[in-house]
Amino acid sequence: MFRVILQSHWNWSKLLLGPGVVAAFALPILSVQQINEPGYADWSPWGTAGLLRDVESWGIWYAALAAGLGLAIATSAWGSDHRGGHVYALSLPVERWRYVLFRYASGAVLLGVPILSFWLGALLAIASIDLPDSLHAYPTELAVRFALASLVAFTVFFAISAGTMRTAGYILAVIGGLLVAQLLLATAGAGVDPLEYVVDRLTSWPGPFEVFTGRWMLIDV
Amino acid sequence: MSNAIETRGLEYRIGRSFEIRDLALNVPEGSIYGFLGPNGAGKTTTIQLLLAMRRARAGSITVLGKRVPQEITAVLSRTGYVPERPHVDPSLKIDEALRFHAAFYRSWDDKEGERLLAQFDLDRSRRIKRLSKGETGKFLMVLALAQRPDLLLLDEPTDGLDPVVRREVMTAVVDYVSQRGATVFISSHLVHEVERMCNWIGVMDKGRLVSEMTTDSFKSGIKRLRVTGAPQSMADPPFVLLSRQPSEGVIEGELWVVRGWQAPMRDYFESAGARLTEVTDLDLEDGFVELLRTSRSRQPLEGR
Amino acid sequence: MFSQLDSRSPVPLYDQIATRIRVAVAAGELQPGTALPSVRQLAARLRINPATVVQAYRDLEAEGFVEMRQGAGTFVQEVAQDRRSSERARQARRLVRELVNEAARLGLDTDEIMEAVRTELGAKRS
Repeated sequence: MFRVILQSHWNWSKLLLGPGVVAAFALPILSVQQINEPGYADWSPWGTAGLLRDVESWGIWYAALAAGLGLAIATSAWGSDHRGGHVYALSLPVERWRYVLFRYASGAVLLGVPILSFWLGALLAIASIDLPDSLHAYPTELAVRFALASLVAFTVFFAISAGTMRTAGYILAVIGGLLVAQLLLATAGAGVDPLEYVVDRLTSWPGPFEVFTGRWMLIDV
Repeated sequence: MSNAIETRGLEYRIGRSFEIRDLALNVPEGSIYGFLGPNGAGKTTTIQLLLAMRRARAGSITVLGKRVPQEITAVLSRTGYVPERPHVDPSLKIDEALRFHAAFYRSWDDKEGERLLAQFDLDRSRRIKRLSKGETGKFLMVLALAQRPDLLLLDEPTDGLDPVVRREVMTAVVDYVSQRGATVFISSHLVHEVERMCNWIGVMDKGRLVSEMTTDSFKSGIKRLRVTGAPQSMADPPFVLLSRQPSEGVIEGELWVVRGWQAPMRDYFESAGARLTEVTDLDLEDGFVELLRTSRSRQPLEGR
Repeated sequence: MFSQLDSRSPVPLYDQIATRIRVAVAAGELQPGTALPSVRQLAARLRINPATVVQAYRDLEAEGFVEMRQGAGTFVQEVAQDRRSSERARQARRLVRELVNEAARLGLDTDEIMEAVRTELGAKRS
């Protein structure tokens, strides 16, 4: 059973997964290209600080790719079912929880491919440069962060797209409601910022989205 | 002989109006059961309840000896379902859809699938969204039959199909029953089709089961009588009077539609001073229409 | 052979099938030893419940017209001459009964019926 679910998921996601794997491999390599340029390797304290700032600026791309992959794999997990209005899946002799688990697991398996390629890219990137003793490379740690971010994104989007249009609508309505509240309170000058509070709670540890907002450092002290 | 499907006091509701009420289905094992009723009677909803796609408010459902929805997975593994509208992902090819489906059923027979595809002249490499209505109908039947189920639940399987395809599909169903002795539950408003194949009939109207009996009983019992000179009220008829109306047209008298008619009942009319001039058989469709007409006019009186 | 099967008639299908076979045997159309179509074949051909075919065959077997042999099929039996004659007589009377009932409904009397019968038979002979 799992095999056909994985196959079906692969069929739905391969168009996006291909470029995703390439991007995952390329990003870490691209991020260290500057270091190999002649004249860049100025290992003075100011030079090092500059390097670290450059490295940190790539964080947004890693986060975006992780979120994008999570979204792509999640929506392709349920593509087949949405076509038939879930009637087909409900008619199959498999418990609902098991079916959902199979679909989730197949997504996790498929995510493994770009994660692996990211890790390889990071390792290759580090292998191609020379770092002074004051700096260290963290390719594996970065890959782990990437993996976690992708999984978190996948899980969230999976849950949203598993539901009906109605549940997706509810979630979007909640977000929309928060934005509206934000706007109203801001114009009223109340000094209360609900959106920032919610976002803050979610994105700093122990919030689930901390993995996205933390520092994505391939090279650090 | 046990029932393949049995419901007791089944109730289902959407909003404030009762959609299904006090439903007591008895589908004998090995029978071909025709589930008749006008559109909107609740036939599709009933089937969805049997498959645990909807949840009943009250009552019990037992399919193939198992409780629904508690043991629904066991039931579904032995049930072939053909819905009214195609439920499979249309972007798949026939081949892909078959392989996906097969993975879920231990009883799946690949060779039968092949044979049926050939019999229905379906090409494995075609995408489902490119199939015509008839081909889609045939394909859904292949999915259900190659599963080798013990129970076939068919929801208007030939609705909108041309007569040629209809025959192909129904012949395959009959053929399967010959091989496997499976139970078939087929909902339809095409009474004539049902008349041929079904040995049991259940009639549903406005969420209630109006009648349930063997096809032969249903047909042999219902007659239209032409009666003249009958007094307004006649006591204690030996048959069930379904309707009584003045006859239209040139020939005078009244037309009575009765159930449970037997020849010796002529005396009943004679003793009341009336004359029975004609006894006509009603076919299943006429009987079905009369039954609905009666049950609808009776409902307010019985406070149902 | 079964093209006249009327699913709308109040006569049950198994009865119609059995009658058709009975008449065929009585008329010599079906010779002893002939194999009848299998339950599966006949049910599929007529698109009727296989149980209906089984019932027809069983009734015929009980009357001695056919024999159902496990695994081999259903075969027409040798039926004695007097048996065949009585079956023919039965079918003839059944036909006439229908004729008489219909005629009564139209209000025809015996003489008119007999005259019509003679004319039609005469026309057939010539």
